[in-house]
Amino acid sequence: MITNADFLALEGEAGDYTAKLNIRPRYIDADACTACGLCTQYCPKHHSDSYNEGLSITRPIHIDYAQAVPATYYIDPSSCMFLQHDTCQICVPVCQSHAINFSQKPEARDLKIGAVILSPGFGKIAESTLEKFSYGKHPDVVTAYEYERMTTASGPFLGEIKCFSDGRHPKSMAFIQCVGSRDLGCDNGYCSSVCCMYAIKEALVTKEHDPEVDITIYYMDIRTQGKDFDAARERAENIGIKFVRAKVADVTPWDNHLKLTYSTLDGQHKFDAHDMVVLSVGLESPKDAQKIADITKIDLNKYDFCKTGTFTPLETSKKGIVVAGAFQGPKDIPESATQASGAAALAAVTLKKQRGKGTVLKEYPEELSVTDEDEVRIGVFVCHCGINISSVVDCPDVANEAGGMENVAYYTENLYSCSQDAQEQIKQTIIDKKLNRVVIAACSPRTHEPLFQETLKDAGLNRNLFEMVNIRDQCSWVHANEPEEATQKSKDLVRMAVHKAAHIQPLPEQTVPVTPKALVLGAGVAGMTAALSLADQGFPSIIVEKGDKVGGQMLNLKNTLNGESIAAHLKSLTTKVEKANNIEVMLNSELVETAGFVGNFSSVIATGKTKKKKETTYDHGVVVVATGGHEYRPKMYELGKSKKVCTQQELETKLEGRAKNRAPNSIVMIQCAGSRGDDLGYCSKVCCNHAMKNVLKIKEINPDSQVIVLYRDIRTYGFAEDAYLEARKKGVIFIPYEVDRKPVVSSKGTKVQVDFFDSIMQEDVSMTPDLVALSVGLVPNSTDELSKLLKLPVTANKFFLEAHVKLRPIEMAVEGVYVCGLAHGPKPIDETIVQAQAAAAKAAMPLVNGKVKVDPIVSTVDQEDCIGCGICTSLCPYGAITMVKIEKKRKAFTIAASCKACGICAAHCPTFAISMGGFTNEQLISQIEAFGNKKEKVEA
Amino acid sequence: MGKAMIHREGAVMILGGGIAGIQAALDMTDLGYYVYLVEKSPAVGGVMAQLDKTFPTNDCSL
Amino acid sequence: MSDNEFSPKILGFLCNWCCYAAADAAGVSRFQYPPNMRTIRVMCTGRVDPSFILKGFLEGADAIFTGG
Repeated sequence: MITNADFLALEGEAGDYTAKLNIRPRYIDADACTACGLCTQYCPKHHSDSYNEGLSITRPIHIDYAQAVPATYYIDPSSCMFLQHDTCQICVPVCQSHAINFSQKPEARDLKIGAVILSPGFGKIAESTLEKFSYGKHPDVVTAYEYERMTTASGPFLGEIKCFSDGRHPKSMAFIQCVGSRDLGCDNGYCSSVCCMYAIKEALVTKEHDPEVDITIYYMDIRTQGKDFDAARERAENIGIKFVRAKVADVTPWDNHLKLTYSTLDGQHKFDAHDMVVLSVGLESPKDAQKIADITKIDLNKYDFCKTGTFTPLETSKKGIVVAGAFQGPKDIPESATQASGAAALAAVTLKKQRGKGTVLKEYPEELSVTDEDEVRIGVFVCHCGINISSVVDCPDVANEAGGMENVAYYTENLYSCSQDAQEQIKQTIIDKKLNRVVIAACSPRTHEPLFQETLKDAGLNRNLFEMVNIRDQCSWVHANEPEEATQKSKDLVRMAVHKAAHIQPLPEQTVPVTPKALVLGAGVAGMTAALSLADQGFPSIIVEKGDKVGGQMLNLKNTLNGESIAAHLKSLTTKVEKANNIEVMLNSELVETAGFVGNFSSVIATGKTKKKKETTYDHGVVVVATGGHEYRPKMYELGKSKKVCTQQELETKLEGRAKNRAPNSIVMIQCAGSRGDDLGYCSKVCCNHAMKNVLKIKEINPDSQVIVLYRDIRTYGFAEDAYLEARKKGVIFIPYEVDRKPVVSSKGTKVQVDFFDSIMQEDVSMTPDLVALSVGLVPNSTDELSKLLKLPVTANKFFLEAHVKLRPIEMAVEGVYVCGLAHGPKPIDETIVQAQAAAAKAAMPLVNGKVKVDPIVSTVDQEDCIGCGICTSLCPYGAITMVKIEKKRKAFTIAASCKACGICAAHCPTFAISMGGFTNEQLISQIEAFGNKKEKVEA
Repeated sequence: MGKAMIHREGAVMILGGGIAGIQAALDMTDLGYYVYLVEKSPAVGGVMAQLDKTFPTNDCSL
Repeated sequence: MSDNEFSPKILGFLCNWCCYAAADAAGVSRFQYPPNMRTIRVMCTGRVDPSFILKGFLEGADAIFTGG
């Protein structure tokens, strides 16, 4: 990890690039800095805190936020007294670990690399665009970023929302959408895709702070097209957040209020006063986009984002350089994370030959055996953490107390237990004093346990013979004014840890070998792309397809919105799959049985019709679920009854044909037919784009055709907004309808009649168009059986549910199973391809490794005590416990590789036959007993 | 690592340490490659580190 | 500690992934709270067997806190 670095140049070609960097000095030695924060307290100079959007003051020597990585402070040279004026240097003697070093110089560095992933993020909308909303003129107009920091509990105002003008709590707030997006005035014609979501989120958070606040969101279209996002919008509406479809012309200060002037759909101008205005600012291309493009010689699109194609969504115009995140186009967190994984898959293919060459293996001394017979020798190390702990807790007292405890063979204090020299000292002490358990009282095990366990390993001890006591984050820092109680608490916690430590047993480091093959379910664009990516990375797979040909939903589509031929892409994809010697496609086949766990699945695949069914058994390490979806046909709007009513998909096929009258003179389209509250509760994300594609095609064939699109929200997010604008320019009429006033379609003989309320003209309209096209939603192909077969959870809408909607959008809760494409949720083809590539990256991980490492904190079943009741099996959320027959008796058995160490099984086992490594009943009970021990003392 | 320039084969450079960059770096490491994660500012995390909660579940983002 | 004032002894079971992390975060933010709790870290509150809670009370806890 190289931070504080500028990217200067890139030479060479794919597989052999040299990147030139300039690393700016931090003026603080990263290895020595303990992030204690003393320097910031002493630094006399003020510095605007950019992490808090300039809402608070920090010092030139600081860290952006406590959890920053690297957790090293830095000096901002722009305001440091020494670096600017050669004075001060107060920080240098303050730092107890002598980390401050003003002699650091910028360092030039060349990196030899094979591939580049560009993920520079996005830029911010220029302040000049915000001026018309009185931003900068009135303090109570803030951007959504500033507002985010204001509402944050750990932010500069501790989450208290106040007007900057006079400190009052705002009672009436306005969110203005599309600031700097969908706005040709600032050359940002695209939709930023995320602002509707964050505005709703911030509005909901505001309501949590103060339910009385009156909140209005002024919008053009609410674009909550993501998976299950519409539900959040409904939640917002239900708790009283108002949504007003209007374009805000300007915001003017009005006493200590702000006056909004806006025009609604029916052409009226209205005014409203609010206490605070939040601008939902869009995402712009990163500030240095042009510079990056110049250095790497990649092409940018007209908005200065990285240019990519629908079928190659992550590839730049230069080989070996891929892109991920908002630089590819505005997008949210899960999509960025997905793109990142997809980009990793592409980069991995470029680098395939060098896999594993860059990784460094560390060697450890042979592990000493520690058994029950051995005398327990615990070493207790109490850390001062500079003055972080010792200024509150009496560390020598704690250490002495520990020294008197049973089984403690050695005790000492360290100034910084985590420092290099202390580590060496601990290691030596373990060896010299023959310690076989180590207790360290310091900071949090969540951050430092791995470091100390490493030290144990270096000393030849099993890394689990370790227990950490948190006397900083959960003691000295939170009881700063009660040193006596804090010291007592530290003693108690140390005693509890020592008692637990006495019962700790070494746990073996288990690994399980992997079958380096994949099973891909579904041969649509998602399945084939994933299989190809895996093949390119060197892993064979079998694609199981229910139907009698490959292609899936692609077979029903002709062109993309950008005019690229889907059929051509399907053909090239199919050819590649056929040519790949490590992909086998099984048509007319279904998965009927799967057993095993990540790395070691065994599946039975049935081929053919019921009577002549042929079964094949296949061993594989991972599963990619790409079972796809299809168009939903709602029983409404005369679909299937009138010949003049069709779906967008049918219209697309028709438009591609040669029929003379394929683009008739009068067409009405109805969006959200059967979606968003009717049969399907959700937005299908693709239908608006699909409608735009057809509309533009119609206008191309028959420019005189009158096309009316009846919609609820047009969701042409991202760059698809261009198509929406073009459709409007070509004379397509867009009329919104309310959900309680839906259009009515009736057929009279061969004619079809559409009645609707024109919300622009404010009148009822009745017409008999030549054609009615319905934008219907997408539903997943049946997920019921598969979800039972593989124990995969599904959402209320029957799509597969990912492990974490934000951070693990590809992985399923069951390890070794990954999902992509329509089986995960409705999405357009480019996003499906990204997901498939990401799934391939994720799926390749256990295969690359060759073995799955098992965290030793897993459940183990004592076969003797187990009565085979099966409670644990039914409760395990990860399918990690199975029942096996041992000597004709049913016994529970833990699949260590799947176990997540939650301990539900152990807590529910009626015979206490299940125990958790590192958290055994014995250990926890002795910890509780040690807790009680103190009580007696206090009473005595 | 010392002063000596270490020649790493099979390395990838990731430009930008936001959520996309970090995720890509983690994935590349898990796929067995050496990663240089290059970030302009003093810490990785990008914009996501500034966010308090995330839509739609309002989970904590850090 | 004054004898008149009731100062409860609390035993806490904290989930490593959320509540324990939150307690760390409270420390990072220097939030101050009464020093009455003694915590036991578990990998998930699912691990907390009802018997642990009973045991805690038997050992003299005035209250048990489980966070996860």
